Amino acid sequence: MDYDNGEKDFINIVGFACTYCAFKASEMAGSLRLKYPEGVKVIQVPCSSRVDPAFVIKAIFEGADGVFVAGCHPGDCHFIRGNYFTRRRIFALKEMFDAFSMRGKVRLFWTSAAEARKFVEKVTKMYEDLKEGKNEG
Amino acid sequence: MKGKRIERENFLNALKRFAKEGPGLLLGFERKDRKFRTKVFRKEFDDLSLFNPVFQVNTAIHLRRIFSKDLKIVCILRPCETRAYVELTKLTQVEPTSLICGSTDCFGTVSSKRDDLSFPEKPEDLKTFLENLSDLRYACQTCRHKNGVFGDFGIRIDSDWNFWFIPYTERSVPLYELIEGPESEIPEAFKREEERSKTLFQTDLQEFRKDFEKCIMCLNCRDMCPVCYCVDCLFNSDEYLPKGDALINSIMRSKASEIPKNKEVYHFIRMYHVSQTCVGCGSCEEACPQNIPLTKYFKGISERLSGLFDYVSGRSFEERIPYTTFKEEELDNASD
Repeated sequence: MDYDNGEKDFINIVGFACTYCAFKASEMAGSLRLKYPEGVKVIQVPCSSRVDPAFVIKAIFEGADGVFVAGCHPGDCHFIRGNYFTRRRIFALKEMFDAFSMRGKVRLFWTSAAEARKFVEKVTKMYEDLKEGKNEG
Repeated sequence: MKGKRIERENFLNALKRFAKEGPGLLLGFERKDRKFRTKVFRKEFDDLSLFNPVFQVNTAIHLRRIFSKDLKIVCILRPCETRAYVELTKLTQVEPTSLICGSTDCFGTVSSKRDDLSFPEKPEDLKTFLENLSDLRYACQTCRHKNGVFGDFGIRIDSDWNFWFIPYTERSVPLYELIEGPESEIPEAFKREEERSKTLFQTDLQEFRKDFEKCIMCLNCRDMCPVCYCVDCLFNSDEYLPKGDALINSIMRSKASEIPKNKEVYHFIRMYHVSQTCVGCGSCEEACPQNIPLTKYFKGISERLSGLFDYVSGRSFEERIPYTTFKEEELDNASD
């Protein structure tokens, strides 16, 4: 992982998206012909709480410029309470990255299956920020 | 809260009777020939020492996988070791039915890598000796949990150097009842709570890389960590710590890499995984052959992350570890 605050040409973003909300939103974005940057690679996970922060750390140290975890809105989890755990874990993970002065690398989104536009917006915003070398959440 | 004043004689007698009737063992520190050891006592308790100024390993790792139901084991350990025992109980790695584990007031410890010190006999002198010592372990210098307020019982020292036995949980009552002497209210000074550090740990990747450059990936820090217990550790797999063909494969898939690969990933992931349960005992640093300042990072991160949920590892048996529980209304600012 190279970390500097200069501009980069190509940004790799790995996204963990829950099957029931965020991944559906990304599919819907496709069917609505919405565009988001090609550097974004979305990985489908059964629930956002499947994401062990170890996956995020490994992705970042093995070449990703940023990682996002996307799930259903709190309270709307298909598995009733999975994303409440995600919220605590990723919140703590962001705090840890903050301690190493690299907070901008990890983001957490809540998108429901209908919020394709919001998903594209958030992902594009993250891409732009990382491209400019911004380092805040 | 009530407790009993103890003298060495009547406490040893109580332990002897407990071991006989139990049947029971005692896990504690031994002082013999000017040397300190951690020892499981069976019948003779005469060399028992309540303090051990030399830190080797966190004894809580030896409490895992004890399942005997008939035997009772009394453990008299340091606060950090007792906190690790409480955490492991919550993580169902220690079966507490056969254990009575309490903490004594601790004066700080030196590394077991030093053997040039000779410690004074009396606890009063030991305390001043350790206070005047400039090279206590880093973990002990920054420790804010030196009082015996953790676990099933505590052995506390009041300002006149009287020793007190204070039961905290039901499990320690059988031992408490064997101690002869009147029961009385504990001194007011024992109830003081220790406070959290106000400065947040802050570093950056460059500094981290510089400190961990010499890491040889022996994984001693993981093996000696009392709260790092997974049998199927991520780093036993080829995915996170590739060796041999898996290493060549991963290099062909991505890019050239130094060996051992994934040093930073290893320490980052471990730092996150123990972030709430870390007791800051510094046994990782003690086990490190390269003298990497591990405690600075692991303790700093764990204090910062457990501060988010107002959690102190090993404080109580009932409190849930933050990652295993949640509240519905909290952390509104978590998402971006």
